[in-house]
Amino acid sequence: MNIDDIVKTLDGTLVAGGDSDRTVGSVVANDLMSDVLLNDGEDMLLLTSLASDQAIRTANIVGAMCVVVHNAKPLPQTMCQVADTLGIPLISSPLSKYDSCVRIHDFLESEKK
Amino acid sequence: MADGYSPKILTGGESKSDDEILAAHDKVNRVSGPGLPGTDDSPLVIMELLQRLRVRDVMRGHDIIAVSRADTMKRAQHLMKLNNISGVPVVEGRRLFGIISVNDIIKALEGGWIDDTCQQHMSTNLVVLEADMPLAFAIKFFQNYTFGRFPVLDKERNLVGIVAQRDVTRVLMHELTNEIAKLEGKATTAPTEKAKSEGTLPYYSMRQFVVVRNDLSTAGKAANEIKKMLKDAGIDNKIVRRVAVAAYELEINICIHSLGGSITFILDTEKATVIAKDRGPGIKDVEWACQDGTSTANDWIRSMGFGAGMGLANSKRVADIFDIQSKIPSGTTVMCEFILAKKA
Repeated sequence: MNIDDIVKTLDGTLVAGGDSDRTVGSVVANDLMSDVLLNDGEDMLLLTSLASDQAIRTANIVGAMCVVVHNAKPLPQTMCQVADTLGIPLISSPLSKYDSCVRIHDFLESEKK
Repeated sequence: MADGYSPKILTGGESKSDDEILAAHDKVNRVSGPGLPGTDDSPLVIMELLQRLRVRDVMRGHDIIAVSRADTMKRAQHLMKLNNISGVPVVEGRRLFGIISVNDIIKALEGGWIDDTCQQHMSTNLVVLEADMPLAFAIKFFQNYTFGRFPVLDKERNLVGIVAQRDVTRVLMHELTNEIAKLEGKATTAPTEKAKSEGTLPYYSMRQFVVVRNDLSTAGKAANEIKKMLKDAGIDNKIVRRVAVAAYELEINICIHSLGGSITFILDTEKATVIAKDRGPGIKDVEWACQDGTSTANDWIRSMGFGAGMGLANSKRVADIFDIQSKIPSGTTVMCEFILAKKA
């Protein structure tokens, strides 16, 4: 699952950070950044409702491959700037985190087959 | 001027007795606290310099140009002209009695008493510095008073030097240049390609980052920089991530729980060290604070994605060596060390 697949699956829009050819290695859905930092997964896809710079900085610390912000939350300009600076793709999705999890799960399962 | 040779130190009333001079002198030691330069959010290097350097480090202590009480004002004028200075102390032995400034000379020329003795017309309303005071005091004095120079006394009230504004500037610039050179020198000592390929890291690197209280817009920058430094040094990705997590958690902790502080990162051939130091208020129960899920965070902090009470616990979990020291109200220092394994 690459950035393009994520955008299509979650009805999202790539708003900052640029494209990348990395693929999803693990998925974390969380709004508490300390919880996110606890995860050891590589190439993390971070699903969150936290629309702040810290979501991007946290993603960078754990080497996440992409951040998705849900419920079509307005994204602060600084958040997009940080995403651009750190080169982390930032996607805005109208879905809830739960719906995103379901769709991502279905996509990854279908990939296995 | 009945007995013009007894100086009033600071501006402590009209009395000129030695006891009162001593008492006034003691006041100098008690000038402290709010408003001193370097005690706000100035860069740490400057703050530390202002506290570390003493008045004795900047004063001119040798060959003090001075006059005695019996010397004429004309001699004082001559000395000032000859040495290009704007004031001379009036001393007997090492005891300070007064000061003759340019203003006193101008008044003497206008009033026609340039041939009178210094004792008759010297300024006795003196403000003095002590040699052991931090430089911050001297700078504050220059801000608060219009004098261009201050006599410096030792604990026995002997004159040991003179400080002019340019002395402070000269020494401060010199020390700052040294500090910057030190920081840059260490930060730019990058590993060579050969060292990287051999898996050895024969270098030492240190950087310090200021963390501002409640400024979540910049919190995390230090951790990101540290991560970049480690990656550039070719450190194993898993270790990079552990160090970055600790640095990030500690940086956020300083930002949201303390009055502000710094993150210092040291990287050498054997280990990476993150030291988080804040200026207070300190932690009441350190053991409790290091447990998972314990937090004193408010709703604002939680709304920003933090305050789950995982910060210290997470840092402890990822570090090879973890140490925390906290004192109320002076602050908390956390140190995390990471042993660098050779890259496979």
